[in-house]
Amino acid sequence: MTASYQHLALAQVQVGMILSDELLDVQGQILLPQGTVLTAAMLALMPRHGISMLAVLAPAESPEQQAAARLHRKQRLDHLFRRHDADSIADADWASTLLRNYVAHFRLGDTEAP
Amino acid sequence: MSEHDQTLTYDDVVANLDDLPSLPAVVMELLTSIDQDNIDISVLARKVSHDQALTAKTLRLANSSLYGLQVRVTTIQQAITYLGFQTTRNLITAAAVTGGFTTSQCPAFDHQAFWRHSVASAACAKVLARQVRFNQDYAFTAGLLHDIGRLVLVSCFPQHYARVLEYRSEHDCYLLDAERAVLGIDHVAAGLALAEHWNFSDTMRLAIAGHHDPAAPGASFLAAIVHVADAVAHALDLSGPEDDLVPPVSTVAWSALGLDQDAFLQLFRETELQYEEISMVLLATN
Repeated sequence: MTASYQHLALAQVQVGMILSDELLDVQGQILLPQGTVLTAAMLALMPRHGISMLAVLAPAESPEQQAAARLHRKQRLDHLFRRHDADSIADADWASTLLRNYVAHFRLGDTEAP
Repeated sequence: MSEHDQTLTYDDVVANLDDLPSLPAVVMELLTSIDQDNIDISVLARKVSHDQALTAKTLRLANSSLYGLQVRVTTIQQAITYLGFQTTRNLITAAAVTGGFTTSQCPAFDHQAFWRHSVASAACAKVLARQVRFNQDYAFTAGLLHDIGRLVLVSCFPQHYARVLEYRSEHDCYLLDAERAVLGIDHVAAGLALAEHWNFSDTMRLAIAGHHDPAAPGASFLAAIVHVADAVAHALDLSGPEDDLVPPVSTVAWSALGLDQDAFLQLFRETELQYEEISMVLLATN
């Protein structure tokens, strides 16, 4: 599983999208391998297998788009944590600092200095 | 309570609880008996089946990938057979509560965002509970109901709450602090009043009471789980209001869970996936 996958409801999946993971049915049997390019016929069969969501590769972005999206995520995170002082040396709030660092790592793929 | 006095007391809240819409009788029965196991299951299944909307929503949840069932359940009785009584009871409660309030009297209150946050907290609390080997059904329900006092305040005192929301955006403070400053009472107290009125079990009562102060003496472990789940749901931005704020995280609650970074990253991933799925079922008609 890569960072650039997205989980979409079946209705939002379009022909030509690529499976980011192998697709299993309810018994755990492989229906389609990882990397399959989805066709209209495949999508039409999904409901019959009880599948309502698919993990597909996110469309490739240019480095500029990626940087912009990353900046946007970072700003949003700073905004959400705006009442938390990231540079605080007070030990009392270390749990908030850890949560912030973990979410930053999750969203941005890096860790900020505490 | 006079027209011009902005503050409320616990008694004001209690006096207005009768005006709230009541939940289906069978759901009240479930909420009051969450600590008991000696309920007649077939009677319960029959009672729930009389409410078709409730049954449909419950079965959709039961059939979601959350529970990984190999078969498709089509009756409440079947859900109990495959998922167990505790879990089914939990699903029925979730399906009933998310739709039971109207807040249209207070247009500034974002009803959708409220429920998105509640569902996100419930999903997160459930995953957390599994990681720390706590009862996942209690955690899910407590996560879903932890802020229920806010709906009580908004439904019973819409004008008052509009002023709370104004105060919050003026000062850009936590909603909890705005409630205390404007009303003199907060959603925790209102939630407890409702818990009393609806006869919630002690487990739920303690979790609601302690979710902002899990370090207080006598606070339950479940309160610590809900406290951290609440903060994680805000930090993951799952409810998404523009001016959302992550509440301060209690070091006592954080330590009590004893999870490392890998566990939290796993928690974030699973919470996001489960949130998507649960909210599609629970919030579809709201």
